[in-house]
Amino acid sequence: MSTAAEATAAATADQVPNYLNHERSIKSWLFTVDHKRIGLMYLVATFAALLLGGFMALLVRTELMLPGKQWMSADTYNQVFTLHGAIMVFLFIIPAIPGGLGNFFLPIMLGAKDVAFPKLNLFSFYIYVIGSVLAIVAILSGHIDTGWTFYTPYSTRADNSVLWMTMAVFVLGFSSILTAVNFIATVHTMRAPGLTWKRLPLFVWGAYATSVVQILATPVLAITVLMLFVEKAFEIGIFDPSLGGDPILFQHFFWFYSHPAVYIMILPGMGIVNELIATFSRRAIFGYMFVAMSSIALGLLGFLVWGHHMFTSGMSEYSAMVFSALTMLVAIPSGVKIFNWLATLYGGSISLQSPMLYALAFIALFTIGGLTGLPLATLITDIHLHDTYFVVAHFHYVMVGGTVIAFLGGLHYWWPKMTGKMYSETLARIAFTLVFVGFNTTFLTQFVLGSQGMPRRYFDYQDQFQPLHMTSSFGAYILGLGIVLIVWMFVRSLLKGERAPENPWGSAGFEWMTTTPPDPHNFPVTPVIERGPYDYDLCTEEELYTGFRKDLEAKKA
Amino acid sequence: MTAPKGTTQLPPQLSTIAPEVDDMYMFIYWVAVVSFLLITGFMVYYVVKYRRREGMKAEPTGHSTLIELVWTLSPLILLAYLFHSGFSSFVKAAVPPRDAIEIRVTGMQWSWVFEHPNGAIQQNELIVPKGKPVKLIMSSSDVLHSFYIPAFRIKRDVVPGMYTTAWFEPTEETQEPLTLFCAEYCGAPRGISSGSLVDEPNSNHSTMIAAITVVSPEEYDRTVHQLFIESQKPPADCDGNDDPMACWGEKLYSSKGCVACHSTNPAVNQPGPSWALVWGETRAFEDGSSVVADENYILESIRQPQAKIVKGFGNVNMPPYGERNLPKAQVDAIIAYMKKLRQ
Repeated sequence: MSTAAEATAAATADQVPNYLNHERSIKSWLFTVDHKRIGLMYLVATFAALLLGGFMALLVRTELMLPGKQWMSADTYNQVFTLHGAIMVFLFIIPAIPGGLGNFFLPIMLGAKDVAFPKLNLFSFYIYVIGSVLAIVAILSGHIDTGWTFYTPYSTRADNSVLWMTMAVFVLGFSSILTAVNFIATVHTMRAPGLTWKRLPLFVWGAYATSVVQILATPVLAITVLMLFVEKAFEIGIFDPSLGGDPILFQHFFWFYSHPAVYIMILPGMGIVNELIATFSRRAIFGYMFVAMSSIALGLLGFLVWGHHMFTSGMSEYSAMVFSALTMLVAIPSGVKIFNWLATLYGGSISLQSPMLYALAFIALFTIGGLTGLPLATLITDIHLHDTYFVVAHFHYVMVGGTVIAFLGGLHYWWPKMTGKMYSETLARIAFTLVFVGFNTTFLTQFVLGSQGMPRRYFDYQDQFQPLHMTSSFGAYILGLGIVLIVWMFVRSLLKGERAPENPWGSAGFEWMTTTPPDPHNFPVTPVIERGPYDYDLCTEEELYTGFRKDLEAKKA
Repeated sequence: MTAPKGTTQLPPQLSTIAPEVDDMYMFIYWVAVVSFLLITGFMVYYVVKYRRREGMKAEPTGHSTLIELVWTLSPLILLAYLFHSGFSSFVKAAVPPRDAIEIRVTGMQWSWVFEHPNGAIQQNELIVPKGKPVKLIMSSSDVLHSFYIPAFRIKRDVVPGMYTTAWFEPTEETQEPLTLFCAEYCGAPRGISSGSLVDEPNSNHSTMIAAITVVSPEEYDRTVHQLFIESQKPPADCDGNDDPMACWGEKLYSSKGCVACHSTNPAVNQPGPSWALVWGETRAFEDGSSVVADENYILESIRQPQAKIVKGFGNVNMPPYGERNLPKAQVDAIIAYMKKLRQ
């Protein structure tokens, strides 16, 4: 193609209205009710939180490289690791996938024009912003060193900034609830003609299960925060033993929310991995209904296992017994997903493009995360491992090796559709390698630190732990470098990336049937769905890359 | 005789329960390693075997309810085994033998206080007898702590307002003391300058550790008896001092942890009031009253710290030190030390 022809093609493409160019003012972004724009704003905000939380993690790892004080005191260290945890959990990992990728793609995957309540959607974004600002004000003005778990009575004896922080978490919880209500209503009422429940993309099933958990669990967090306020304001003993309260009660309340929150974090990530594996294997997900129902099962089981955070807390041995047994059951739906993904790879046509690398990394890392849950669910071994680096490594394998890897995979996968630009595959592969190697170096070592008896949240440690801490810190720098490279790669793509084709990966998913970037109303006409999102055997090669949009345009004409 | 060594993954086994914990751990470890290798092995094999090639199409996905049920239900066998044997050992680890020696443990920011059955007190160090079960009856005087000795494989939270218990039976005498860690986060004082193990032991969560020594039962009996006798009079190295009581008080000031919150520098009032200018001074309190600091005032401030709170220290929660923790003779020594500080 000559340069002149290219320029003409570009100009024509620019004239096609899409959600990015049909309005350009700042106001059109701030007051938008378009789920795609809201999704992008969530992505920018949550990615900023990821970078901030990651920076805190590097501060922690730098301090821990050598024993003794390096360059911050124990008090500062405690605040820094608290910020790392609180920012990552509440500002990044809970909202990132549902708020960002979910908002953007859930309605498109349903063939809908928007979510069921677009204004509520914008409102929930601003609640997220207000919650984040509250959190940052609490952090800057106060002294928050309680860990992200806010255990009483330590948290209530400190100053009121902890109350402000929990207030922020309460507000952020409302944002989650509103998004969840919106998703559930959208999935129930706005599916395109022909899109039956059995044809729902598995990302939608994941987001749906997540929404159910958010609606049921988040109010408990609100109740807990309210009780903290009541205790502080009226000196009514609820959690503080000096007022006649029970500190273990707080842990029950906290984990009744925060354990389901773990599933709020991982289920959407699993949803993304389904999309990636299907697309890059060109094959329908094996055991579709089992995979979909395993998300629902995980969501429900998540409510019954909170006590496994408390085996050493002084809770009764019989409670521990029940929670141990129930916790074991979590392995079943998790295993179902892994086995079905492997069965999907079997007989596929597998392409190792960068999003697929993340999906395969997810399988390996989530498997480690799941298997290391076994000695924590088994009572006698948990006694030794609880509150050590083993637990730290375990949940980072699930949260980072699982959710963050899936989030990054989804970001790569959908980037061309969202921005209309391709990114450099070479840079993406280098960044993936750095992230993968860095992550494993950081956290594999922490399993050994933990089983050797190194407790968590320690500012200083004995000399015997030094080599492993040093290795872990180097891993963290490599991981950090990988993330920075990803940011640079995406920025470079925005500035001078090649124009993305409509369906660069040749996916049969519904979101690839629309223009790139999508039309302001997602599809020029409401699509009629005649097959499932993974029915590759019903598509020809040409259809995968070019077929669907023409079909829709034809209907428009 | 050499002490048992730990492995790459686990610390040495020095209690009766440790081998049981480790067997379970190693069983799960090998199950996990095999499962991981199988899963990633199949994954890599499929990725290579079914890599995308010209002219090769993916096979349509079939369905097999039988396969689904097999891999849904078969892990249950392993899970049931893990649950059952983990719980059986857990019960064993939770129920102390009837003849166990009872040691009372108090966790406080950021020290451990141990009281042997004869009333002897140790702080941040503990001796225990080899081959005898030891039951710990634990409580916290402030926030949550957790009693964790990796070599014994035991951990139990120490909670304010209630007792928790744990037990262990050491199997070897120690050459080097073992470490007792606090495993439940309990903070650090505001504005602490360092907080490292070397600079400021027992000053924050990560340095709230104690040294555990295992000795023969005979030596244990001898030592705790000796400790009890010593707790009633100034130690030998204060003999010949002009003021043996003040000398003892100065030692208690560090060994009982007063030093963590009270300085002897009149300019440093963090987090509690300095001891430099207390004795004989008029103390002004939060409620507006005041009193001259005499013996009764100091005794009360030790036994019931919240009774009279010095102006400006309303947010500080000092734990009470009772008769068991700080016998009358030791209070007298501390009073003597405060008097000396004013001279």
